[in-house]
Amino acid sequence: MHKNCSRREWLLRTAAVVPGAWLAGSPLSRAASAPALPVAVAKCKTYDASELVPTLSKMFDQLGGLGRLVNGKTVGIKINLTGDTSYRLGYSLPGDTHYTHPQTIAATVHLLGRAGARRIRVLECPWSTADPLEEVVFRSNWEPRDILGAAQNVEFENTNYLGRGKKYSRLMVPTGGYIYPGFDLNHSYADCDVFVSLAKMKEHATAGITLSMKNCFGLTPATIYGSGAGVDEPSVLPSGGRDMVHSGRRQPSKSAPPEKDPKSSRDGGYRVPRTVVDLVGARPIHLAIVEAVRSMAGGEGPWIQGSSAVSPGVIVAGLNCVNTDAVCMGVMGFDPMADRGTPPFETCDSTLRLAEDAGLGTRDLKRIEVVGTPIVQARFDFAALRRERSANPRRGRG
Amino acid sequence: MGLLKGTPINWLFFDKDAGLAPVIEQAKQAGLNVAEIASPPAGVAILPGDWPGVAPMARGGGASAGPTGVPWVDTNSWKIRLETARRPGANIWVDAPPKGARISAGSYRTAIADAAAAGGRWVISLDAQLAAGIADAKADALATWKDIATAAAFFAARKDWPAYLPEAVVGIISSFAGDDEFLGQELLNLIGRANQQYAVLLKDKLTATSFRGLRAVIYADAQPPAAGLRKQILDFVSAGGLLITGPKWGTPPGLPAKEEHPRYAARTLGKGRLAIAKADPDDPWVLANDSALLISRRYELLRFWNGGAIGSFLTVAPDRKRAVAHLLFYADRGPDHVSVRIAGRYRKASLWTPDRVAPRAVEMEIQKDAVELHLPAVSQYAAAELEV
Repeated sequence: MHKNCSRREWLLRTAAVVPGAWLAGSPLSRAASAPALPVAVAKCKTYDASELVPTLSKMFDQLGGLGRLVNGKTVGIKINLTGDTSYRLGYSLPGDTHYTHPQTIAATVHLLGRAGARRIRVLECPWSTADPLEEVVFRSNWEPRDILGAAQNVEFENTNYLGRGKKYSRLMVPTGGYIYPGFDLNHSYADCDVFVSLAKMKEHATAGITLSMKNCFGLTPATIYGSGAGVDEPSVLPSGGRDMVHSGRRQPSKSAPPEKDPKSSRDGGYRVPRTVVDLVGARPIHLAIVEAVRSMAGGEGPWIQGSSAVSPGVIVAGLNCVNTDAVCMGVMGFDPMADRGTPPFETCDSTLRLAEDAGLGTRDLKRIEVVGTPIVQARFDFAALRRERSANPRRGRG
Repeated sequence: MGLLKGTPINWLFFDKDAGLAPVIEQAKQAGLNVAEIASPPAGVAILPGDWPGVAPMARGGGASAGPTGVPWVDTNSWKIRLETARRPGANIWVDAPPKGARISAGSYRTAIADAAAAGGRWVISLDAQLAAGIADAKADALATWKDIATAAAFFAARKDWPAYLPEAVVGIISSFAGDDEFLGQELLNLIGRANQQYAVLLKDKLTATSFRGLRAVIYADAQPPAAGLRKQILDFVSAGGLLITGPKWGTPPGLPAKEEHPRYAARTLGKGRLAIAKADPDDPWVLANDSALLISRRYELLRFWNGGAIGSFLTVAPDRKRAVAHLLFYADRGPDHVSVRIAGRYRKASLWTPDRVAPRAVEMEIQKDAVELHLPAVSQYAAAELEV
C-alpha cells in the first residue's frame, strides 16, 4: 500500500488515473504530476501453479486486491504472442522465451475469476491470421482448455480483425496523440470494463524494451494497420506485420483515423514508442503484469540475432503501466530515466519518457513505491548481457 | 557407366531419338535395364513431375510466395500418392529434370527424397553443368554425383518403408479427374502445405477400411456422390467423423448446429458433424486451410518449429508398432534447431539422414499422447523412425 494514500483513495485514483492524467500543460508539468502508484515485485522461479498462483495472489493483494478492480466486471487481458507460432528460440518453448507463458495466463485468469470477474476475455492479434486464438495456440503446444477452464466465463478472441464484433471500435487518444489521434480496434478493447496488459519482460529491437506498454502495440488489427490492410476500408482478413506503423510507408485504411502529421519522422525508433503511448492513452491499462520467470535477452523474438534464453525468475505487477514498466527497467538493470542514446534506447526514444510527458505515469523510481521484493534483490541484469553482446556480437542463441 | 557400379541405379531411360546407341550398348553390357522413357517397363508408371523445391522468383533474388504466405514449394509427393492410390502395387517414378539457372547439390537430394518419401522414385536426370563436370571428372561434380548415389542407396536400402501406411487425419474423396481434376489435385497439394496429414481416397475404390483412423473427410467434387458412396460417408459421420463438403452434396442430413462459420453451415448427425460450404468451394487453399480449422489443430499429427519450407509424410508399419515420419526441408540450406511434435505414444526415436549409415542422436521429449523431437542440424531430408 502506498504510504501516502489510503486503500480507498488509491483505488479511486486508479479508476480515475488515466482520464485525470490528461491535463493541459507542458510535458514537464505533466511529468511532474504524473501518477505514482505502488508496484509489486516478486521472485518466482518456476511456472508451476503451486508457486505461480500464490506468488501472483500475494502480489495482487499487495496492490490492494483484485476484487475491487474486477468484481462483477468484464476483464480483457492482452497477452503477448509476438511473431509466427512456428518460431522458437532454439528448442525453447515460446512461453519460456518470447510469449506470455500459458501458465501465467491461466494463473491470472484463475485469480481474476476468484476475485469475482464476471467475464474474462483473453485477447491477442496473432501474426497474420484470423484463425481463432484457441487454434493459434495449439501451434505453440498450448492446451487452451488450461486457460478456458481456469475460471468461469473465459473466452479467447483473435483481435487482429473484426472478429466477433459487427464494427471496429474507435478509441481516441485523450491528449490528441503523438502520431495517431485515435485507433480503430477490435470491439474487445472497448467492450471491457477492466483492461489487463499481461506482458513478457524483454528487450526490443526497435523500442529498446517491451513491457506492459509495448505489449499494447499488438492491439492494432492488421486489417487496418498491417502491411496487407485495405486502402479505403479494412481488409477482411489480416495479413503481414505492422510495417506501416514502424516505417510510416503508408497510412492505415482510410476508414480509420490517419496520422496527425504524415511529414513527421519515418524512423521506427521515433514512431513506435510514440504509437505505443498513443495506444496506451486510447486504451488505458488498469493492471499491468510483466512476467519473466523465463524470458529471452537481446530482443523480442527468436528472429533477433544474438538473442538468448534467460531465467530471471521475476514478476512485476502494478496498477499504473508507466510505473510498472519503470520498475521493470530497474529490475532489468536499466535506468528508467534513460532516453535516446542510452541503453536500451540507443536508437529510439524512450516509451517511458514519452508516456510520462503525456502524464500517464511517472518513471521516476524515487516516486514509485515498490512492494514485495526490492528491485536490487529481484534484479536480472539484462543491461549487463546487452553490454556483453555489444562486445561479442556473435554470441547468443540457445 | 563406371559411376553406376555399386549404386542401386539399375535402369537407363532414353528418348527415342536421342542418338545414344553406343551408350545404350554399354549400359546393356554393364547389366543395366534399358528402355525408352515413353515406354516404361511393366509395373512402372512414370509421371511427369516438377523439379521440387522452393520456387524461385521469375527475376531471381528470392523465392515466390505461395498461398500459404511462405515460399511456394513445388513437390511431386502428392502426385506419387495419387498415382499409388490409382495403381496399387505399381512402382511410381517421376520424371522431373532439373530446372533453373542454379542447381545445387542439395536440390538433387531434395528431388530424390521428395519422391522416395512418398514411396516413389525420382528418375535421375542431371543438369548440363553437372553432366559436363562429371564427364570432365571435376571434383565438385563427382562429389555431387556421389551425394546423389548415396541418397538413392539410402532409400533403396529401406525396402520396408514403402509398405508403411499413411497416417492421416483427413481423407480427400474425389475422382481427381475430369471436372474434379483441378480442385481435387490442388487440394492434395495444398492440404499438405497446410500441414495436414491426408489420405487419398478415390471415390470409386472406397472400402470399409478407407475411413479408418480419419477424423474428417472432404468431398468437394462437382457432382453429388452416388447413393452408395453417400451412405459410406454418412456412416462415417454418424460414427463420429466430420464431413466437409459443398452445396452440391444436396439436401444435408442431420440437424443444424449452433456453430457459426462465415463460409460453412454446421450440422450434426449421430456422433458426428457436417460442415457444408455456403458456396461451391473453388479455392483449394481456402478449403485446405478451412478444413484444418474445422477439424482443429488439436489433432495435427505433426507440428513443426523453425522448419522453414516443410513437407512431411507420416507413415506407420502395418503392425502399428513402428512409424516413420518423413521430414523434408525444401530450402537449399537446411534449417537449424528444428523441433517436431509427432502425435502418438512412442517411446523410442531414431533419426536417419541419407548422408549417414547409422542413425543420428535425437533428443526426444515425451509428452501427453505425443513426442517432441529436437533435431540436430539436418539438410534437405530426415526420417524419424519411431517405436511404440
